[in-house]
Amino acid sequence: MRSGWSWTVAAVGGASLILSGCGNGGGSGVSRGPALDAAAASAVVATTATDAARFLTQATYGVTDADVTSVQSLGFAKWIANQETIPQESSQAYLDARLAAMVATNAKATLNSSNFYETFWLNAATGQDQLRERVKLALSEIFVISLANPVVDTRGAGAYYDMLGADAFVNFRTLLQDVTLHPMMGKYLTSLGNLKENTITGQHPDENYAREVMQLMTIGLFKLNPDGSKQLDSSGNPIATYSQTDISGLAKVFTGMSYYSPTPTSTTFYGGARDPNWDVTPMSLYNAYHSISEKDFLGQTIPATATANTAGDLKIALDTLFNHPNVGPFIGRQLIQHLVTSNPSPAYVSRVAAVFNNNGAGVRGDMAAVIKAILTDDEARNTASAQANINYGKLREPVVRVANWMRSFGAASQSGHWLVGSTSASTSLDQSALTAGSVFNFTRPGYIPPNTKLAAAGQTAPEFQLVDEVATAGYLNTMNSLIHNGIGPAPTGGSGPDISSAYSNELPLASNVPNLMARLNQLLFYGQMSATLQAKISSAVSQIAIPSSSATAAQISAAQLKRVKLAIFLSMASAQYIHQR
Amino acid sequence: MSDKLHFNRRDLVRLGGMGLTTALPFATQFAAMGAAASTVGPSDYKALVCMFWYGGNDANNTVLATDADSWSRYWLARNAGADPIALMPVGTKPVPVGQISSITGRTVTKAVPDAWGGVLPFAPKTPQAIPAGTKATSAPRTFAVHPFLAPILPLYSAGRLAVLANVGTLIQPTTKAQYLAKSVSLPVNLYSHNDQQSEWQAGSAEGATIGYGGLIADNEYSLNTANGIFTAISTSGNAVFLSGQTVVQYQVSTNAQPAVLINGTTASNIDGSSLAPQTLQSIITDTTPASNFQSDYAAVVARSLKATGILNGAMSSALVTALPAVPTYTNQITGNTETNSLAVQLATVARIIAASQALGVKRQVFFISMSGFDTHDTQNADQPNNLGKIAQAMTYFDTALSDVGGADYRPNVTLFTASDFSRTFTTNGDGTDHAWGGHHFILGGAVKGGDMYGQYPTLGVDNGAFNNPNMVGNALIPTTSVDQYIGTLGRWFGVSDAALNTIFPNLKNFPGGYLNFI
Repeated sequence: MRSGWSWTVAAVGGASLILSGCGNGGGSGVSRGPALDAAAASAVVATTATDAARFLTQATYGVTDADVTSVQSLGFAKWIANQETIPQESSQAYLDARLAAMVATNAKATLNSSNFYETFWLNAATGQDQLRERVKLALSEIFVISLANPVVDTRGAGAYYDMLGADAFVNFRTLLQDVTLHPMMGKYLTSLGNLKENTITGQHPDENYAREVMQLMTIGLFKLNPDGSKQLDSSGNPIATYSQTDISGLAKVFTGMSYYSPTPTSTTFYGGARDPNWDVTPMSLYNAYHSISEKDFLGQTIPATATANTAGDLKIALDTLFNHPNVGPFIGRQLIQHLVTSNPSPAYVSRVAAVFNNNGAGVRGDMAAVIKAILTDDEARNTASAQANINYGKLREPVVRVANWMRSFGAASQSGHWLVGSTSASTSLDQSALTAGSVFNFTRPGYIPPNTKLAAAGQTAPEFQLVDEVATAGYLNTMNSLIHNGIGPAPTGGSGPDISSAYSNELPLASNVPNLMARLNQLLFYGQMSATLQAKISSAVSQIAIPSSSATAAQISAAQLKRVKLAIFLSMASAQYIHQR
Repeated sequence: MSDKLHFNRRDLVRLGGMGLTTALPFATQFAAMGAAASTVGPSDYKALVCMFWYGGNDANNTVLATDADSWSRYWLARNAGADPIALMPVGTKPVPVGQISSITGRTVTKAVPDAWGGVLPFAPKTPQAIPAGTKATSAPRTFAVHPFLAPILPLYSAGRLAVLANVGTLIQPTTKAQYLAKSVSLPVNLYSHNDQQSEWQAGSAEGATIGYGGLIADNEYSLNTANGIFTAISTSGNAVFLSGQTVVQYQVSTNAQPAVLINGTTASNIDGSSLAPQTLQSIITDTTPASNFQSDYAAVVARSLKATGILNGAMSSALVTALPAVPTYTNQITGNTETNSLAVQLATVARIIAASQALGVKRQVFFISMSGFDTHDTQNADQPNNLGKIAQAMTYFDTALSDVGGADYRPNVTLFTASDFSRTFTTNGDGTDHAWGGHHFILGGAVKGGDMYGQYPTLGVDNGAFNNPNMVGNALIPTTSVDQYIGTLGRWFGVSDAALNTIFPNLKNFPGGYLNFI
């Protein structure tokens, strides 16, 4: 059951639609003055259905007719603005309800990571907050925690993913703080329970979070220009942003954080008398275990003090990170890579970094403004330039490809629980959400695939890190199976795979192969399918005969279904589809 | 050659799979788990296997110096914190679970060092020099390994396993004074996982596209006149180590059929369309589009398709199917049965090695790996299990290669270990953080085993009057470079000195040159 927005879409295929919705701040139809109407009208008319589809490929988990219509009617900027007001469905709430239902029949039931994947697919396939969901995925690949590590529990992971979603369009400083204090990050990067130094034994604070928050989540390894290129010293060498001493200094700040308790004590610091909500509540700050010696990092000095001040020290440290000039280009470039293209031009990065630095109203770190800047930039929107650029674009992530199928072909889950399970095996998708092999994510921003044309052209291509002889075969076999049969175990009381599509929009087109191909072209290729590819697929598909009207209806629809499935499989098997351009 | 104990191969595998054994003197262990085969492997075949420990293994608890001076500093640094990680002295009996340890005073569980017994001594054939800062109370210097490494000691005493001390990434020999003064070039981004992984594999930071294994293979590639696609093989995902200028890494799964068949490509039809299988093949291997993303992607799929039938076909040969199965692995701390990923990967490597003659390849480089070594916390619970898996995997591999259709392939195959870095000498309470130089192992029939190479350093962090010349902060400065380490292996593989100087341009900076372990 979805709360919040509900769309009412009247008519299809035309330019004028009335949209109404409830909830915070949304528009209720077009009823403004003439000047505004003209501007709105020109914005509306400019967007073709294929450009809308291309935009939705970047900004959602898959193209649907309804979304195309709303993008055409609102225009990109308003569609984005509206999306930013749509709340998410809470993964934690889903998991709590799921556990309660499981326990009702089996008192010993527990959650496992497969239950987290249920909420991921539910939100990806059916969530109204599509842009938020895509940004969440991107943020989860920068601020990485992983279910592959048993210290991350399922409920905590759900809460963490909710946090990323709630913070997707707020201020980066808020996001940074919420990540730092989240108990799942505390467990994953071992800051939870981190003790201040002991000068007698030489015991030093755990440096894990201090290092990775700098290297991966805020400033990176090298000083950057606003366009994302590395600054160089007088000898032409890149300049490191931090040294080991900065890490040791910053590590002292991340001491004294531990298990949430309404009444923190030394017992609760070490995990005793555990609050049942410790894994979904920000860590408590225990001054008794927080370092009071001088802390030097990134040119900042927190003087030695007699009384520990964990909150105060954290504020100084996070402010210092947040205000570092690297953050705009470092984070901006990675978000561009996740949504639009693996090799943004320096100018594109500059424009986005500039918005991070100042959203136009004097505010630094406005994530909503940054996302809008990324998606409305000419380098994202200009289809002709993109198609002409041999190095433009990115590979769609494996989980996004499956979500594309779910959304574009209206897949449904019999159980309502989207029982896909783990897709981490290299013979499956080689990827499951929130389940990277390490804090370095499935793919590195700077990854260059060896022995490739991209490498020869000096291009980074993060998603190629998941491309090898096994994974590519695994993807094809996975898609072959799910397109033909669906995916997921049969739910109790159901039959056949939990998730499947009836291809109800495509079946009527199957007798006319060009019409079928046109539809797939719109959904999967935003109108850019090459004539060669279309001809190849058409020939193979046309070979499946549709029996004449003297055959039974069942026989006819069986043949139609075969055509549809083959056409979709051959389309999604192609590198043209896998490459988002 | 010592007297052979008469074991059949199943027994050998089972014994190797026992994981932790109690602290028996190594000499009475199965020292002659030796050549069960009567003939040697092909004279023109060589394989190099890189076993990468992702995350940075704590070498300080893997290979230890047990002289009084070193041990007292080790104890001071590591018998501290909420969950001390100091291992027990040589000769200590395991303390039963539930009892109070007389050494540390803690109540013993399976997940504390007191339960595991003392570290296990091994004696290098070549006496190790006593370094500056270590009191030479007794020479030669004495050493031991972590108790969970017990299974590798028979390999060591049989002369097939060597220890390399204090190896790490360096541009040139570096002293403490030079490091502190920043007066010499240092590898980029020391202590950063991804960059050091790339430095170990390719000699430069993340973004490198060509690795040492690939370059070494490039030089010998002409020997693989058939099926060159199987020259550089990974069982664990993309690794820059294997990419050369010509040689392209090839991924295999660890399934019975290592190459994954793309369904539909060999069928008579898909959905009743007889054209569809060819159409599918044509679409997925089309490298012609004017898009590098598409072209490069299709190139990988094309390789996948081409190699599948050949490789999987070779797996049905008698040589391959006769190899022993992977033994079960039990986590000695939890008692649970677990998958030993390293053994599973080495089983696939062994099968491909066994098929190498049929495939017509003479030179192969393999990459296997495991992660989980980044023990910032819960080191007591996590590291021993990693080491137990390493030990089981190595013994399994040694046994499997000892008899490939009657031939002993061990002299043809050399396995070496590698990791991002070692870890801090002091504890952070229950774990360790990133450091630098660490200790590694080399296994194979051509290895001059039973000995330690490189220079084992002075141990201990600076403290008052004590200044450790080998340590900066909590990290050991390597005394041997990765260039020397892998260069030596490349030399064994057949690469010329001139080519090695190109692959390892910094090699000439190290007066020690090539090492003597093979």
